[in-house]
Amino acid sequence: MKNKPSLWMRALLIAVSLVWAVPLLWAVVTALKPAKESMLLNWPSSLTLENFQIVFQSAPFLQYGLNTVLIVAGILAIQLVTVTLGAYALACIDFRGKPLAVALIMVQIIIPADVLILPNYITLRQLSLLDTLVGVMVPFFASSMGLLLLRGAYKGIPVAIADAAKIDGANVWQTLLHVYIPSTRATYVAFAICSVSTHWNNFLWPMIVINSVEKRPLTVGLSLFAKASESGPMWAKVTAATLIVMLPLYVLFCSFQKVFVSSLVRSGIK
Amino acid sequence: MKKLVSLLLLMTLVFSLGAAPVEAMAEGEPVELTFYYPVGVGGDLALLIENLAAEFTKENPNIIVNPVFCGNSTETMTKTVAAIQGGNAPDFAILGNSELYSLLSLEAIRPLDDLIAADEDGEEFIADFWPAFLANSYYDGKIYSIPFQRSTIIMYYNKDAFKAAGLDSETPPTTWDELVEYAQKLTVRDGAGNVTQWGVQISTNDPFTFSPFVMQNSENGENLMTADGKTALYNTQGNIDALQFLVDLSQKYQVMPEGVIVWADSTSNFMAGTAAMLYMSSGSLTNVLNNTDFEVGTAFLPAGKRYGSATGGANFYIFDGISDEKLAATWKFIRWITQPERAAQWSIDTGYVATRKSCSELDLLKDYFALVPQAETAGNQLEYAGSELMLYDNTRCWDVLKNAIDAAMTLSKTPAEALADAQAEVDEILSEYR
Repeated sequence: MKNKPSLWMRALLIAVSLVWAVPLLWAVVTALKPAKESMLLNWPSSLTLENFQIVFQSAPFLQYGLNTVLIVAGILAIQLVTVTLGAYALACIDFRGKPLAVALIMVQIIIPADVLILPNYITLRQLSLLDTLVGVMVPFFASSMGLLLLRGAYKGIPVAIADAAKIDGANVWQTLLHVYIPSTRATYVAFAICSVSTHWNNFLWPMIVINSVEKRPLTVGLSLFAKASESGPMWAKVTAATLIVMLPLYVLFCSFQKVFVSSLVRSGIK
Repeated sequence: MKKLVSLLLLMTLVFSLGAAPVEAMAEGEPVELTFYYPVGVGGDLALLIENLAAEFTKENPNIIVNPVFCGNSTETMTKTVAAIQGGNAPDFAILGNSELYSLLSLEAIRPLDDLIAADEDGEEFIADFWPAFLANSYYDGKIYSIPFQRSTIIMYYNKDAFKAAGLDSETPPTTWDELVEYAQKLTVRDGAGNVTQWGVQISTNDPFTFSPFVMQNSENGENLMTADGKTALYNTQGNIDALQFLVDLSQKYQVMPEGVIVWADSTSNFMAGTAAMLYMSSGSLTNVLNNTDFEVGTAFLPAGKRYGSATGGANFYIFDGISDEKLAATWKFIRWITQPERAAQWSIDTGYVATRKSCSELDLLKDYFALVPQAETAGNQLEYAGSELMLYDNTRCWDVLKNAIDAAMTLSKTPAEALADAQAEVDEILSEYR
């Protein structure tokens, strides 16, 4: 890694990243163009923020943004607790039926969330959680993907270290807090990225649970423009709305890019 | 902790009790209605609906209407089905006009005949809707839905391109033969033989745009299915010829791109000026007019043996089992929002077609047509229009036909083979409903 890439390698990398950047660049340019020019491949005759203005007027995007942040942060906070405790149990404690428990959790990954819409909806109704942000979050409080990911990471920590902690008088909580969690930070970051981007982009489930306008997430605002199949594509507004929706996440990713990339590499997820 | 739990339990109890008396409300207290609706045309439509609901409450202070935006029509249906099965159905909803059989098999909706009969002018009210928009409202002699946000397929054409090709921009093609002739003149190739402007673009991965060709080419205006929705008529000689015509447009005459053309791409191409004629929903008119630099004309779809087009969009359905009080309030709202003046204004604001015949006598609409003559075409074509594909298990039957059209357009099957296979498949699906 420390060797500087050769000139050829650099050229190749630049070319590949340009290919990757095209959709984003196209979205930025189209959002800033007058709507009439959105299908033309020209440099815009003038730059305008009109598209953003129209989009902002059509829906309370700030409120939507706040809701999305609440949903995403709430899910992640609780997931971190449940996943840590679950993974510790599965990795470090011997109990009867453990292989069965692991197998059941793995099976759960295969079931797509959309299949569970109806049963989850009925449960929420029984709990009187329909039309609440908590209702949107509840089904995702546990994560089998996170459990298995973290269980793998915990298993990679030599038992000797944990034993050493025990000899020093650490109880289970202290061992978790001072040994397991710090040494698997990369896995946590990787899991957090997956969780945040999944729930940031989730559309159908919040749409089904929430009725009140003021509790809707960002994706619903985007759908006002992107789902309007009968009026034909309105690229200028669609791209403007898309940029609004993705911007916070994009800024977050760029500012923590180094941490993110290295943890993705270390935890082995792509 | 125990105190907290019991307090929570108590509160839940109080809240659930609080919900019950709404049904048995004392007189004078407002009735609250909830309805789900989709947005098929972008942007402000959600605001328009909310404003209409607020305006209605202003005129009827004892009825509060809560509109709930639910995405596009498919997502609205998904949400509605979850709500019905979860025992939490709204009072009424605007849902796809072709969802009738799905809603009936969920036993979720009620017929509206008693409400219509109870109104003095009920008969006239229904008779005033365009028959093409009521085509998917009836089952077993009863009416189940009231047309609201409705559209139909029309032809858009680029007048500037017509002039450049030496064609009269005021006389668009009226028959299939003319369509081919015009399209050939409108297809422009550069020096290397690459097409820079296609003659025509028709979305070919969608039975919605295939339906018009079926009706245009049938002996007596027959559609893709029988009126009871239990028999599909995919494999007829008329349909095979119609599909062959679509294939010929791209393969034989080479006036349309090869392969499958998707709905959004065809509009984008037309708006970018790389397609001179377009088959598209009337709902796109505002978007097309606002975002193109050339002069746009609209016309009837060119006729085969006859004129024909399909209608799409969504209707009002009322759910079964709501209280009499809510039912009366719901009906009042539906009657209010479908008044000719309001239907006309709705059509102007959204680009949907005015649903009632008497709308066209209103000055409001006449003035609008004088200003935007392109908007008049859709309503005038309605007398030749019929229902879009509507069968039991519609999603699957729709997919079968879509795949058949795809197969023919990509030349992996001949139209005759594709439709014969589709017929066998769809008969299998529908056999359980007979």
